[in-house]
Amino acid sequence: MNGTLRRDRSQGWLGGVCAGFARRYGVDPALVRVTFVVAAAAAGFGVALYLLAWLVIPAGEAPRRRRLPTGRGAVEVSLGTGLLLLSVLLAFRALGIWFSDAIVWPLVLIASGAALIWRGSVGPRSRPDPAPLGVPGASANRPVAAEPAAPAAAGPPASEPATTAASLSRNGIGIALVIAAGFAFLQATGALNAARDVVLALIASIVVLGVIFAPWVLRLVRSLTAERSERIRSQERAEVAAHLHDSVLQTLALVQRSDDPQQVAALARRQERELRAWLAGRPAPGQAARLAPALEAAAADVEDNHGVPVEVVVVGDRDLDPAVEAVVAAAREAMTNAAKFGGGSTVDVYAESTPAALQVFVRDRGPGFDPAGVPADRRGVRESIVGRMERHGGRARITSSPATGTEVELLLEAER
Amino acid sequence: MRSGPDIPSLVAGLAVLAFGGVLMLDAFAVFDLSFAAFGPLACATAGAILVANGLGRRR
Repeated sequence: MNGTLRRDRSQGWLGGVCAGFARRYGVDPALVRVTFVVAAAAAGFGVALYLLAWLVIPAGEAPRRRRLPTGRGAVEVSLGTGLLLLSVLLAFRALGIWFSDAIVWPLVLIASGAALIWRGSVGPRSRPDPAPLGVPGASANRPVAAEPAAPAAAGPPASEPATTAASLSRNGIGIALVIAAGFAFLQATGALNAARDVVLALIASIVVLGVIFAPWVLRLVRSLTAERSERIRSQERAEVAAHLHDSVLQTLALVQRSDDPQQVAALARRQERELRAWLAGRPAPGQAARLAPALEAAAADVEDNHGVPVEVVVVGDRDLDPAVEAVVAAAREAMTNAAKFGGGSTVDVYAESTPAALQVFVRDRGPGFDPAGVPADRRGVRESIVGRMERHGGRARITSSPATGTEVELLLEAER
Repeated sequence: MRSGPDIPSLVAGLAVLAFGGVLMLDAFAVFDLSFAAFGPLACATAGAILVANGLGRRR
C-alpha cells in the first residue's frame, strides 16, 4: 500500500479524516463514516478517535485514489468492517463502557441503513478526469448499439439492469435497517406497546391505499418506461440518420457531380471503409484521437471534396469522447455547408477548448440564408448540427445575413 | 516471481492463530472465556479475515 495517509478536506464533511482513510485504503467513504459514527456510540470512542486522527494526520494532497473493491471484494470488506466494529462494540459493552442498548443498537442500524440509502441515491459517481463535456451517450461517429459501456471507476462495467437491481436491493436493505432501528428503539424504550394501535392503523391505511392506487401507479411506471424506451430509440434513429446524411449522402452527392471515374472509385472505397468501421463500432481508419487533429482532418476532407480553402485555428486541445466527437461531426457538417453554399469564399474555423467549455465557430462570407426557412426534409442543419449538439448536451447557434455571411457557433459546456 | 507474503493469507492465519491461542488458554483454565468475551473475539477474527481477503481481491 503505497502513499501516505492524508486528510482529504476536498471530499470530507468535517476534517476529511474519513475521506482520507477511504482514499488511502481504497474503501467506500460511507463505510468509514459509518464506522466512526457507530464507534462514537461506544462511550464516545469514535469521537475521540476522530479528533485524535484530525490532530495527528496532516491535511494535504491526498495520494492517488486506489481502485475501490467491487463485487465480492466489496461485500467482504463491508461485512468484515461490520464484524470488526461489532467486536469493538461488544467488547466495550462487556467492559461496561456503554451508553445504553436502547441507544447504541438502533444507532448502529440507522447509521448502516442511512449509509446504504445515501450511497444508493446521492453517493459518489464515477467521473473520469478531466470532467467530461456534455452528456454521456451515443457516439457521434458510430452506432449507439455498438457503443461500449462507460467504464466505471470502481471496476468492470456493469449492465444497466444489474446496476439497477443492485441499487434497488441496496436501498431496500437500507430502508429495512432504518425501520428495524425504529422498532428496536421503540421496543427497547417500551413505547412499542403504546404505539401498536397507531402502527396498526398506519399499516391498514397503507394497505388500503396500496390496493386503490396500485393499478394507477403500475400504469404510470409502465408508461414512463415505454416513453423512455421510445425516446432512446428516437435518439438512436436521429443519430444514425445524421451520420448517414454526413457520410453516405454527402459522398453520393459528390459522386453525382464528379466526371472522373477514378475519383468516383476512390470516394466509394473511402466511404465503404468508413461505413464498415462505423457498423463494426470501430474508429474510422486514420481517425484522430484528439480534438485539434480531428478538426484539421475534417477540414482537409472538406477541402479535398469541394475545392474550397478551409482555415483552421485551434486553441487548446482535448481527447475525443462521444460528446467532443459530436462537436467535430457538427463542425464538419457546418464546413461542408459553408463550402457548398458559401460562394467559394474561404471557410474559417476557430475552436477553443478550455476545462469549462468547448466552443467552435465556422464562418463563411457567402450570401447567407434564412435558418428558419430551411425545408423540413433537409437534415444538414436541423439534425446534423443543431440536433446532434442538443443530443450531446450542447447547443448550436446559427447567424446568417447576406452582408456578413454565415456563422455557426457550437458550444459544449462541462458537466456541472 | 513472488515479492512477499500473501497479505490476506497472512492476516487470516494470524487471526486464526490468535483465536486458537485464546481457546487453548481457556481449555487449560488459564482464564475463563465467557460468552461476553468470546463474542467480540469471534467477530474480530472473522472481520479481520474478511477485510484482508476483500482488500486483497483487487491486487
